[in-house]
Amino acid sequence: MAIIFRNFRRQLVNLGPVILLYFLAITELDTEFSNHFTILSFNLQFVIIYYWMLRDPPLLGNGHVFFAGIINDIIMGLPMGTSSLTYLVISFVAIYIKNVTVKMTLFTDWFTFIIGIFFANLTYLLLISNFSDLSITYSNLFYNSLFTFLFYPLFWLIFNWYGFLTGIKRND
Amino acid sequence: MSSSRDDFGIVIRSALLQRGAKQKFSLFFLICLSILIFFLDSFPSKIMDKTRSLLNDGIYLTSSIATSPIKFISFLKDKTQDHVFTYQENKILKEELKKFKQKDFQNEFLLTENKSLKKAVESSQEVLESNILDNVSAKVLLDKESPFLKSLILNKGSRSGIKKGMPVLDQNYLAGRVVEVNYLSSRILLLDDLNSKIPVIVGNSALHAILSGSGDESPKLEYLPEGFELKDYSTVYTSGKDGIFPNGIPVGKIFFENNEVRVKLFSDSNQLSFVHVILTNSESNKF
Repeated sequence: MAIIFRNFRRQLVNLGPVILLYFLAITELDTEFSNHFTILSFNLQFVIIYYWMLRDPPLLGNGHVFFAGIINDIIMGLPMGTSSLTYLVISFVAIYIKNVTVKMTLFTDWFTFIIGIFFANLTYLLLISNFSDLSITYSNLFYNSLFTFLFYPLFWLIFNWYGFLTGIKRND
Repeated sequence: MSSSRDDFGIVIRSALLQRGAKQKFSLFFLICLSILIFFLDSFPSKIMDKTRSLLNDGIYLTSSIATSPIKFISFLKDKTQDHVFTYQENKILKEELKKFKQKDFQNEFLLTENKSLKKAVESSQEVLESNILDNVSAKVLLDKESPFLKSLILNKGSRSGIKKGMPVLDQNYLAGRVVEVNYLSSRILLLDDLNSKIPVIVGNSALHAILSGSGDESPKLEYLPEGFELKDYSTVYTSGKDGIFPNGIPVGKIFFENNEVRVKLFSDSNQLSFVHVILTNSESNKF
């Protein structure tokens, strides 16, 4: 009984990042604070995907990243596939960095995250401006990317702490 | 040189094609699938429209249920704040009451003014109601904010007669227009969204213009005639020139900022809980 309970607890803990990713995609909970500070918004989904893909790719899984993107598109009213593609680009950059880097630190993670944000937002911009009627404000996109980058260390520490508490080991 | 290029190719291939023990799909397959879905969704087809509509209804409903604990917590927070500040509020109200007693002599004048204003409001409402064929009240199901898109999801859809392009009112003020209709839900684009363009008329000067969302709280007035003269705080109404919106719906008041004519909207998009969708006969295909 104790073993079953322990296994169940471990599975639930391992599902934490996936649950958070889906929760952010499906609920009203957002990371847009323009009511308090006009330019403040960041993309927590990017941070979750990048961090957990670097740390332990099977824990998040590309399939979940894809479905979270589809749900996000429907909730946000974007053409279906836009967020999926940007999330998968982030995921691709993370796996690439993981494959070419021997030792990961906060600073290597943080600075390589710029490449991920750049390519993900480039994909988003190319899709929206070329294949849809939607207009976007470039400055908003820039500030969103900037704050996503700036807040990364904070979430790195939180997720690291979560990993430490729950015993998820870094898969280097 | 060539060996480093080979290494790069190997790493890229490995990142795109490798699958873990629990992963059923490679990254490459999912990227291709996303691109396919994006293009299928971008080009209108009946099958995709129906699929999207079904998916939308299902996900909006799930989202509404998943969001209910957050809404409940926010409700509890508001209630607690109300209770905490009751004592302070009582003090402020007492002071205000004192001030009002001192201003008692003005009451008579205010009453007369109030009566005349009420008459004006009633007559403008009558004009508005006479222009409106029918309307449907809808609850705001979701208002997830995005830095790029400002829209809301309503709990009424094509089943209630809602069609694309229909105007949406917050009390008697214009709040936005319907841009997506599903069977049980619909999405409205708010006036402050970058993609919103509404033909309007400025009340006291009868100038026609386009109210264009700018992504922030106050949309701009564009395509005003050359040499126009406008006064601060003039009211902006819908002109009805597009043949979709009834004319005379109040939108907001104008003000000037950095040589631009902006409109302070009557409807506060952050405070919308219930709205009215005006069931006009026309359907726009311009979205």
